[in-house]
Amino acid sequence: MREPLSVRATTYALLALFVFMVAVPLFWMVTTALKSNKDLYEDFTYLPRRPTIEHFVRVIQREDLLTNIRNSLVVASTTTMITVLVSAFAAFSIVRYRYRGREWVGRLILFKYLLPTAMLFVPLYAIVVGLGLGNTLTSLILTYLSFMVPFCTWMLMGYFRSIPPELEEHAMVDGCTKIGALFRILLPLSAPGLVASAVFSFTLSWNEFLLALVFTSDHTTMTVPIKLSMMVVGDQYIWGQLMAGAVLASVPITILYFLGQRFVVQGLAAGAVKG
Amino acid sequence: MRESLGGMGLLAPTVLILLGLVLYPFCYAIWLAFSDKAVGSAGQWVGLRNFAYVIAWPQFSAAVFNTVVFTFSAVALKFVLGMSVALVLNQRIRGRNFFRAFLLLPWVMPAFVVYLVWRWLYDPLSGLINYALMDLGIIGSPIAFLSDRSTAMPSVIVAHVWRNFPLYAISFLAGMQTISQELYDSAQVDGASRVQQFRYITLPGLYHIIGVILLLTTIQTANAFEPVYLLTGGGPSDATMVYTMLVYVMGMVNLRLGEAAAVSTLFLPLLVGLVLVVTVLLQRKANA
Repeated sequence: MREPLSVRATTYALLALFVFMVAVPLFWMVTTALKSNKDLYEDFTYLPRRPTIEHFVRVIQREDLLTNIRNSLVVASTTTMITVLVSAFAAFSIVRYRYRGREWVGRLILFKYLLPTAMLFVPLYAIVVGLGLGNTLTSLILTYLSFMVPFCTWMLMGYFRSIPPELEEHAMVDGCTKIGALFRILLPLSAPGLVASAVFSFTLSWNEFLLALVFTSDHTTMTVPIKLSMMVVGDQYIWGQLMAGAVLASVPITILYFLGQRFVVQGLAAGAVKG
Repeated sequence: MRESLGGMGLLAPTVLILLGLVLYPFCYAIWLAFSDKAVGSAGQWVGLRNFAYVIAWPQFSAAVFNTVVFTFSAVALKFVLGMSVALVLNQRIRGRNFFRAFLLLPWVMPAFVVYLVWRWLYDPLSGLINYALMDLGIIGSPIAFLSDRSTAMPSVIVAHVWRNFPLYAISFLAGMQTISQELYDSAQVDGASRVQQFRYITLPGLYHIIGVILLLTTIQTANAFEPVYLLTGGGPSDATMVYTMLVYVMGMVNLRLGEAAAVSTLFLPLLVGLVLVVTVLLQRKANA
């Protein structure tokens, strides 16, 4: 049944409005990064008159953003690798083993959900300083695990439950150990879940703000979000460089998200066909 | 027996993380709230002194008020905007997949990037919003969006809504796509209007998803820190001071860990209360 004209007109008008609303800030971020300071502060223009990459060069050379990008990459990739491994073990243990006290882990995970980071950062700060880990990347990796691992364990438990245990039991009859069955059967079959956990951990670590702000205090340990937020207060004519940094910080994560989303959807579809 | 030991061994790292980095800090926070610990000093038990001090502080009542205002207006706006976007994307439109991905972008981008961009959009000297409004003749002189008491909170809310509405939109859209088309077809045959179809088919079909989303995001919104820190820092004169910002200022700027912990402990019942209010509202709506 075809929609009446008035409904279609309203739909497209609203769609145009939403697209405009989303596009303007994105457009402004990208064009600001490409404008000369003259176009930004003296002679306002909506479009860059002479696009320049000078702000990108500056934010990398003068602000040494590469150091912070490296920090963010180290923290995000280490957290992701540890999270995926630890959560896979935990989910496997909860789903495939039987022992007392398993249900308590589930309750603790739920408790973690309701507990705001705002409540935890003060004691976490005292703990980090007490351990002599103040102003280190290790403190970030350690504390990020406290919200990545519960979430990914929860997600992987769902994936593992959807895979029939008979597959592993057959492998074990053929002489495979239980851990061997995890690596040879369960993990390969849950690849989409592992990719989803990895994308999730990487993105959240890359974007994390509050703990990084509290734990790191100088340029050599700052991650990208903290470095850029410190630049705001430094100089009034910083916006070209800041938006260049903003573009550099969002492009990889956006690409990763859309790539990962495709994998996850493919994996789900494949699982559905296999039944 | 050996098997269950193996299972516990696999779980051990997670248990260590949960005990050491969730449960222990939580208990430590409660203890801190009853102590006079500052950075570098051991801290003595001081009973309820921190709580008495904090409650009497005008900044604290400002934080309670602002957190409630921020949470309710942001959640309401995200709900309305997210629902409208989902309804539009649920129509048969050309290039739907493209538009769905495009309208998701604010939520895919890092939050700190979004708030830095909005700070620049709001800039009173060279910001786009002021320039465009003056260009169109709507205002005569620039508005200091983030440093005027009357505009600061709405500006922070708008930026937060812009970044977070896509989560509502994709969740509602996913829910709408599970509602059978036959329901709409037969409603149309019976002469139900679009509004009636929304009221009696779409909305009831979404109750479960609406409930989950409202619960989770109410907690998240009440704990938002980045929009305030990156846009206003809690100012001007506490006009946007939400409780997370107050905990940060007390703990990390004034280095009074005990009082900071007291503020976050005092907000725990408020957060639980917010969740209860949302739950009750939802149940009433479901019964109506």
